[in-house]
Amino acid sequence: MTKPCAVATPSLLARVPGVAIVLAILFVVLGLTSPSFATPANVANILVQSTILLLLALPMTLIIMTEGLDLSMGAVLTFASIALAITVLATGSVSLALLAALVVGSGFGLLNGWLVAALDIPPFIATLGTLGIAQGLSLVATDGQSVVGIPRSIQVVYSGSMLGIPIPIVIGAVAFALLCLLLYRTRFGTYVFALGGNREALRLAGVPVRRMLIAVYALGGAMAGFAALLMTGRMSAAHPTAGLGLEFDAIAAVAVGGTSFERGDGWLIGTLLGVVTVGVLRNGLNLLALPSSVQVACIGALVIFALFVDGLRSRA
Amino acid sequence: MNAGAVGGSLGAPEFELQGISKQFPGVKALDDVSFEIRAGEVHMLLGENGAGKSTLMKVLCGAYQADSGAFFHRGEPVRIASPADAGKFGIAVIFQDFTLVPYLDIAQNIFLGREFASRIPGLTDRRRTYVEARRVLESIGFDIDPRTLVYRLGVAQQQMVEIAKALSQDARILVMDEPTAALSARETEQLFAAIRRLKRGGVAIVYISHRLAEVFALGDRITVLRDGRKVASVLPADTSPDDLVTLMVGRAVDTTYGRTFCAQPGDVVLDVKGLAADSGISAIDLTVRAGEIVGLCGLVGSGRTEVARAIFGADRVTAGEISLAGERIDGSPHDSARRGIAFIPENRKTQGLALARSVGDNIVLAGLQTMFPAGLYAPHRAAQAAQVMIDKLRIATPGPRRIVGLLSGGNQQKVVIGKWLNAGARFFIFDEPTRGIDVGTKAEIFKLLDALASEGAGILMISSEQTEIVHVCDRAYVMRDQQIVGELSREQLTEANIVRLGMQS
Repeated sequence: MTKPCAVATPSLLARVPGVAIVLAILFVVLGLTSPSFATPANVANILVQSTILLLLALPMTLIIMTEGLDLSMGAVLTFASIALAITVLATGSVSLALLAALVVGSGFGLLNGWLVAALDIPPFIATLGTLGIAQGLSLVATDGQSVVGIPRSIQVVYSGSMLGIPIPIVIGAVAFALLCLLLYRTRFGTYVFALGGNREALRLAGVPVRRMLIAVYALGGAMAGFAALLMTGRMSAAHPTAGLGLEFDAIAAVAVGGTSFERGDGWLIGTLLGVVTVGVLRNGLNLLALPSSVQVACIGALVIFALFVDGLRSRA
Repeated sequence: MNAGAVGGSLGAPEFELQGISKQFPGVKALDDVSFEIRAGEVHMLLGENGAGKSTLMKVLCGAYQADSGAFFHRGEPVRIASPADAGKFGIAVIFQDFTLVPYLDIAQNIFLGREFASRIPGLTDRRRTYVEARRVLESIGFDIDPRTLVYRLGVAQQQMVEIAKALSQDARILVMDEPTAALSARETEQLFAAIRRLKRGGVAIVYISHRLAEVFALGDRITVLRDGRKVASVLPADTSPDDLVTLMVGRAVDTTYGRTFCAQPGDVVLDVKGLAADSGISAIDLTVRAGEIVGLCGLVGSGRTEVARAIFGADRVTAGEISLAGERIDGSPHDSARRGIAFIPENRKTQGLALARSVGDNIVLAGLQTMFPAGLYAPHRAAQAAQVMIDKLRIATPGPRRIVGLLSGGNQQKVVIGKWLNAGARFFIFDEPTRGIDVGTKAEIFKLLDALASEGAGILMISSEQTEIVHVCDRAYVMRDQQIVGELSREQLTEANIVRLGMQS
């Protein structure tokens, strides 16, 4: 006797991600208000400008899925960017410089993970602390001044193109593909879902829970370190405040993308769309010549609006 | 063609526990209990709350260490010192709170921590995962797409996934702790079909139950525990529901609580008619008169707490009416508290007290609005009010400034009661008032209830301890499956009657 088991199927409306609806609305509104918005060149520009955010938002999604948070990402990126600039000016080697940025990033990521997993410090507090440390170190290392004289080989990473495609877009696409592979096709990815969804079940399954959690934060740090390369290339300098507030955009993008802050419910396509949504909003507001302070307020409103749309859908 | 019986009755049992004893501080949880588990057999384990069923199962699965006794696996003496040891002998427990990850699919949950490696290093072999998952699901007759995310499943389906997970680890002995507690009749039937199939496959099942009907529907052997001792191990054919009830409750009562029963109850304090609520309870009729202590009993999950929550306004009421002293109430917890209903919840620590605050702060908490209508707090008046309650209830505290979390369980309970008395409550709902409280303090809590009642308060008391209901209550209502199935007067109020009404279905 086998009876097929009925499983609740979500309605059609609920299957369209809320972020896609929000993005579509935003695109139409901005397209109508600004003539230069919906042009191929501008769209490519938006994607290029969104890459740095994407590199932070992807691992942020994983961290949030574990019911965690990383407030230090922007500051860690800044410090990694300064380490990169100083190294390249001292040695002239781009690969050594990138290595320095990755070491700084992963170091802070490991520290975050250790504080959260081994010392049981709430992620909000732990990464708020490391945010302060990384920001402080950036100011100390540069005396508050920008590090200039970045060689063209680093600037090219941001401004160059490969086979006609801007290099940042290539980097973003590769990072997205790798993270998808990691989350959906490896053991580690499966454990990320379990870390937030039912940590006890994971422990009972004999998985080293702490080590997995540390790895999630370390990944976030490493990607912030790599994003420093793009940031330095974009600015042609390392500013001690370059990454300020990037964690805000990253968390906003993850939230807009529909990743939940509990139960291990998250998805990377949502985050990708969330990043583009934040990028579109910033770009559109730039075209409308609104100051960046207004942009931050608009992103805040966007997060609330997106979660509101999500709430409507889950009730539908 | 009963393959299970053949496999079961020949040779040594799959697993055997002999003379298991386990002492906890102050209580002998298990006393010389022997228990055998045969392949292809469903062994029902019965007993009241606190009889030792869970302790016995925890010993079996390695979560607890027995103080004395021996284990035999297929006749060979073995040791179980950890859950890993139990796993080696194929013992798997299906816990009541599931160990599933909501946003992973069924197959990923089944093989969590044991993922198949792909030929490409680092990746998992998805195809193999789903093939193996389908095979396991098929073996228990659970027809579902293994790619379904677990959060979409109902409780019964999640239970099937748990069973599949246990079987995929080559479990030969499955321990289930009240698996039907949250299931509908149809889901229960599906679970039973799966269990019968497992049985035919030679799996041994230990099934803890509170429902006599399923004991007879499913059991091949029945063991009854009482006060940590095995009182009987029988075959279903040799017993009857009435016999089992007698076996479970047949104990000489050794604790008596001082109670002057209410000879002449006063006016109706609480009158509930046809109450139904979002939480599932329906057609609830009950009354409580001034000076009465009325019991509300039934198994865990029968809807007792839900009735209390609906009366208090904590759950949304969908039908029926509630009146307090003749006045219709239909409100929020705020409204109920203002009118004088006190709800003393089961979980003092999370629902009844602000643990980090002082005794005084907690006592005045519910009465702040009446004490200080202008919204300005006067510390000395609050301290006075607190002192009155400390004296009245004889709360053992150095003073009103003591942090509540530092008091004993019994005294914490008194603080909760004091809080409501201070707020002028005249009808009290006690949900498991003695949970986690030692015997001495229990007597004191009941003395307090008695005093409240003789001063004219109406009391509704929820308890899983049938002895307490029998010794303390003037009357009692018995619940089963979200409904009240009977009312017992003082004369009819016996443990056997409660069990009989609460269990037969």
